[in-house]
Amino acid sequence: MSDTVHSGIDICDHDAREYSAETLVSAGETLEPILKSTNLWKIYQVGRVEVAALRGVDLEIFPGDFVSIMGPSGCGKSTLLHVIGGLARATRGKVLLDGNDLASMGDGSRTLLRRHKVGFVFQRFNLLPTLDARGNIALAQHIHGDGFDPHRFEVVTRMLGISDRLQHRPSELSGGEQQRVALARAIINEPKIVLADEPTGNLDTKNSENVLGFLRQLNKDLGQTIVMITHNPEAAAYGNRVLHMRDGIVVDGASAN
Amino acid sequence: MIRQMIMRNVMFRPVRTFITVIAVAVEVTLILMVVGLTSGMLSDTAKRIEGIGADIMVQPPSASIFMALSGAPMPIEIGQRLAQLKYVRTVAPVLLQFNSTNSLDLIYGIDPESFREVSGGFVFHEGHELQNPDDILVDDWYAKGRKVKVGDTLHVLGHDFHIAAIVEHGKGARLFVLMSTLQELAGAHDKASVFFVKCNQPEQTEKVMSAISGLLPHYEVRPLRDYLSLMTSSNLPGLQTVIRSMITMAAAIGFLVILLSMYTTIIERTREIGVLKSLGASRAYIVRVILSETTAMCVAGIVFGIAMSFGARALFLAVFPTLTILIAPWWIVRAAALAILGGWLGATYPAWIASRKDPVEALAYE
Repeated sequence: MSDTVHSGIDICDHDAREYSAETLVSAGETLEPILKSTNLWKIYQVGRVEVAALRGVDLEIFPGDFVSIMGPSGCGKSTLLHVIGGLARATRGKVLLDGNDLASMGDGSRTLLRRHKVGFVFQRFNLLPTLDARGNIALAQHIHGDGFDPHRFEVVTRMLGISDRLQHRPSELSGGEQQRVALARAIINEPKIVLADEPTGNLDTKNSENVLGFLRQLNKDLGQTIVMITHNPEAAAYGNRVLHMRDGIVVDGASAN
Repeated sequence: MIRQMIMRNVMFRPVRTFITVIAVAVEVTLILMVVGLTSGMLSDTAKRIEGIGADIMVQPPSASIFMALSGAPMPIEIGQRLAQLKYVRTVAPVLLQFNSTNSLDLIYGIDPESFREVSGGFVFHEGHELQNPDDILVDDWYAKGRKVKVGDTLHVLGHDFHIAAIVEHGKGARLFVLMSTLQELAGAHDKASVFFVKCNQPEQTEKVMSAISGLLPHYEVRPLRDYLSLMTSSNLPGLQTVIRSMITMAAAIGFLVILLSMYTTIIERTREIGVLKSLGASRAYIVRVILSETTAMCVAGIVFGIAMSFGARALFLAVFPTLTILIAPWWIVRAAALAILGGWLGATYPAWIASRKDPVEALAYE
């Protein structure tokens, strides 16, 4: 498939054309996993040494899942998130995201796929410091290419309780508010899947509960598929499925019943 | 959205923006001032030559249109032979000499009577005609610039002259002395640098020129009505090279500052680029953001540079009233285009680096 992304919808995005996008394949409503990895390997070259961060991960995530991935530092959790989110390319194996094989895609196609199907939430929020909260959220809509949708914007910001904080820059917001803005940015384009990398890692207990509560609300009320990495068992318990990783593989719970 | 992001980025780093804008402004100012000074001086010289009122100018073979660059190789008797040609009303021989005492000035050694017949005579603001060997006439711009008045002593060509009059500008040079005096000082007895020829009937100029060419083969015979168009930097050997060199240097300043500015900003904003990539921004989008930001700073620099150029011109003219500085609209456009082009070239490499950053590494950047 190389650099071609398949879509079930028309992509009216100006940048999409440069990758000769056709149509996205969409997984079935509920029976097909929205994300499936098979024997997924990611090997980093560190000088002359090869370091395997992922060693054959098999994983299935279904639409509407809220999956927590736990494991010790260095077990490959973040690498897995980067690979299944299209930020990094797998060395071996297969990743199907909504029917698109990420492992065989080039950079341009993965970019297109991230834009239309994935929302990221990071531990350090990663908001642009020059833009206010409104600008940070609107930027995602702009890159998505469908233009500013005021109704969607209103619904998301009200749901996350940041409607009255939109004029503030990240430096003027608390950690919890910044993460809620980041969450709004991640879901503003209605992605197929939200990938959250330690979303509460930089928050105190109260703000952590808030953010986790919003994630659960998103999952339950809107059916948003979420994959969350965490060290914290209490945070992991917010998901409806918990996977454990060790030494680059998922040791339990990889497939849902 | 991109416009908002660019404006916020530019305002978010005011010192970097200020330095970049100033660098572009200096680039634009340098270009406009170098070109303005050269074209202004050439135009001023041409207008003064045209202001003499002659129809034809005769110079020795291979002489430059920039008369001061030629010596005084022509025997003065040539003038008498020219005066005998049909349709020639009068001939004014002029000896040219550059003065480098205290400053650079072109001095005309003239025969007052023939020069008056050709040019219609000086308009005297104050004083009288050249009468004594040590008399000198200065034009009003020179008098204003050097703050001299009638009766003062002027030291030029290693000789003390007495200012006999202040005359209206526009008659070839700014300083005039008797030809005999200048011949003495230059050691060019009975020699002239140029003959200005006035015709009885201006429409017969072509015929007179043909006659002169027949009489003096290989001599440079030029109609003065074309003089202004001939006075361009490209007709002066080396000047075009100097101008190009200055423009290249100015453009290099803009290019290097933009390159450095955008390169450091790319490094500083590595994580932001990672964020843009995680949101699905394409390489083209990131390049567009960088180049748009560069363009915004260049435009600010251009506006500031144009204002600085007019300010510098006003300052120069206040200090050196005899200068002419032409800031032509066409050159404003060219300087702006050069600044934008240099800016884009300078930003291209940083933009390319930014667009190719690995998103995972960029997001992990501290």
